[in-house]
Amino acid sequence: MKLSALGRKEGQDILKNKIYLVVILVQVFILLGTFGLAIASSIASDPTLLDHYGATSVLKVGVPDSIHNTQLEADLLKQNLNLTYYKNISTAQNLLGTTLVAVVFVNPPGGQNVTVKTDTSNVFYPVVSTKINKAVSEYQLQNKLVSSGLNTTEINRIMNPVNLQVVNLNENHHANIALDSPYFVEIMYGFIVPFILLLPFFLASNIVTDSIVGERERKTFEVLLMTPISSSMIMLGKTLPILFFSLIQSVVWIILLDLLRVPIYNPILMFVILFFMGLGFIGLGILLSMFVDSTKEANSAITIILVFATFILFMPLFIKTSYFTPILNFIPTVIMVKIASTPNININVIFSAVPTILISLMIFVFTVRYFRRERAIRL
Amino acid sequence: MMIFFLQLSVLFLMIIIFNSFITNIESDQGISLTPVLNGFASVDVQDQSGLISKYINPSVINVIPSNFSTSLNNIALGKTTGFLYVPGNAAEKIRTGQSIDMIVYLDSSDPKSSVVRDEVNSTAKVISQSYSNSLSASATPQNTTIPTINQVSTGEPLPLQIIKKVMLVILLFLPLLLFGNIIIDSVVGEKERKTAEILIAMPLSQAQIIIGKSMAVALTISLQVFMWLIILLIAGFNINNPLFVFIFIFLTSIPIIGITTVVAAYSKNYKEAGIGLSIVYIGIVGFLIVPVLFYISRKSFLSNISPMTIVMRLFSGESISLPDYALALICILVVSIISYWIAIKLFERDDIIFGPRPGILRLIFDLITFKKF
Repeated sequence: MKLSALGRKEGQDILKNKIYLVVILVQVFILLGTFGLAIASSIASDPTLLDHYGATSVLKVGVPDSIHNTQLEADLLKQNLNLTYYKNISTAQNLLGTTLVAVVFVNPPGGQNVTVKTDTSNVFYPVVSTKINKAVSEYQLQNKLVSSGLNTTEINRIMNPVNLQVVNLNENHHANIALDSPYFVEIMYGFIVPFILLLPFFLASNIVTDSIVGERERKTFEVLLMTPISSSMIMLGKTLPILFFSLIQSVVWIILLDLLRVPIYNPILMFVILFFMGLGFIGLGILLSMFVDSTKEANSAITIILVFATFILFMPLFIKTSYFTPILNFIPTVIMVKIASTPNININVIFSAVPTILISLMIFVFTVRYFRRERAIRL
Repeated sequence: MMIFFLQLSVLFLMIIIFNSFITNIESDQGISLTPVLNGFASVDVQDQSGLISKYINPSVINVIPSNFSTSLNNIALGKTTGFLYVPGNAAEKIRTGQSIDMIVYLDSSDPKSSVVRDEVNSTAKVISQSYSNSLSASATPQNTTIPTINQVSTGEPLPLQIIKKVMLVILLFLPLLLFGNIIIDSVVGEKERKTAEILIAMPLSQAQIIIGKSMAVALTISLQVFMWLIILLIAGFNINNPLFVFIFIFLTSIPIIGITTVVAAYSKNYKEAGIGLSIVYIGIVGFLIVPVLFYISRKSFLSNISPMTIVMRLFSGESISLPDYALALICILVVSIISYWIAIKLFERDDIIFGPRPGILRLIFDLITFKKF
């Protein structure tokens, strides 16, 4: 009863605070913004998707007029490149880096040797480069084979010696993903999903310091300690509303991601991981609150801790180190990536979450015990 | 002191992140900013010859040797994302110059199937290219003329520019946004501590108070930016024209302090100022960064409206024309004049300092009709 009264009061304090509500709104913008960026960059970097969405007009390649009706022109057009013809190729070369992504010409005119000039700083450079490389390689090989007197069947056999057939299974349960692109899947599940789902817990650490240090600043903490509630109950009453507030946000983000067609698999397991990570974050927040004198000091200290937490949690997703590989499997964000992206999770992944759960529990229990002993009063 | 320690620790972490990103980018053949995920997806492979499976990139895909029936069962049970079948006589076919037909089975219910498809496709292309070259070499006479391909690249790759230029310029501008709380404390703190009355009663004009407070913050920022620059130069970052870079960042801090002072002058308390500052800073960051990104993709004149673009161009060693400088400087000057004028006018109004505070719409109306403002 006392616990629920304290919990209700803490919950109301959170919901009445405009800044926390603004931060929720900011998180929605972050989620939608990162999703939009992931979609745009996936399309811009994937030749198949650019072809699929008919956005090849941006792949502007300058060619000389003399290329008309040649094998090279046919090979370039086969790659859906937007060819712009110039009487004088030096005009095209001057436009490289502004209007054109690349310039392709035969050197000397009428000969067979091809010169390709590309602007690597262009957004579409990777796609244009892939397409041009494919076109000129085919042109080069075809020219070589034709000049050696081989027939069409022989040429085709040499040009396509490896055939790959793709067979899709489990079509009835097709993954409802917004963009069937490897880049999109890797960036969404490999970074954005854990980042978005952990954002509410970063905020939670700030709320917890505000909740404890704020009470001390307002001189109401002593009154709270004098009420007939045990220290453990005070801790639970203060932490549970914050934990649920953060968990509810994460669940909403999971639903929103599902609506955006980035399905989060194993949501219950994800909820359990987030619950324990939340306990760890809140435990750290409480521990910190016991060592500082003012909200300003607490905010600065929590920011330092969050910077380090971000480093520990997110850098392993981007650093390639062979000797850290065994440790990487136990990093919470790596586990979150595997849980969120795999429809049928391997039991080993669940076991690899055990250290995260134990460390988080230990932080929280240590904090509660320390609070019971010190009662967080610094005179 | 705490804030300084925080900022320095952020700087050191950022330097580590930069260096690891650049090392990753420069060591990879393909340049990308995607996460490096060990065993992100898995693929079962039946390849007795071992010729194909060894080319699959193991850093993203976990390659598991298997057989046809087990692998199809694994896909049905969701234990693996895909299965690559290479015919048992692949080595024999290569030796006799015949084409190889491979099949990749993908679990459509797994979103990572596109990652496996892409990786297997790339592997097939690499093998096909190399096999094709060896076949054509043996099928064509040695004196056959082969067209040569001459490739020339200009410009710096975009991901490298984002890491080397955009992230560095963000790092250089970070102190400007980290000092908002000092301004809030300096202006709103006076209101909360009820010392604003004493300050106003002193023989100083409101303009002198606002400018005096802003100058103190600007000097602190300049010291921080100076330290920041020294650390980055020691850490080996290539920063051309450091003096001009410093001057431009310092000049940019003036309108940012002005805008922050407007928020602080209008706010009743710390919390309100915090909310206002968060929203306003999102706008400022957007105004600074968007033209930088625009400049990288299309080098347009208007991108120089953001001083961040000029700073990026300065430390990259680009030659900057006078109109480009002028655009950024005019922007700094105009925003500074407007923001300080509003801040001073707000500080001059008793209803804003002592209350009851008028609403924003009312203030805009007063501004339009020249009442009190």
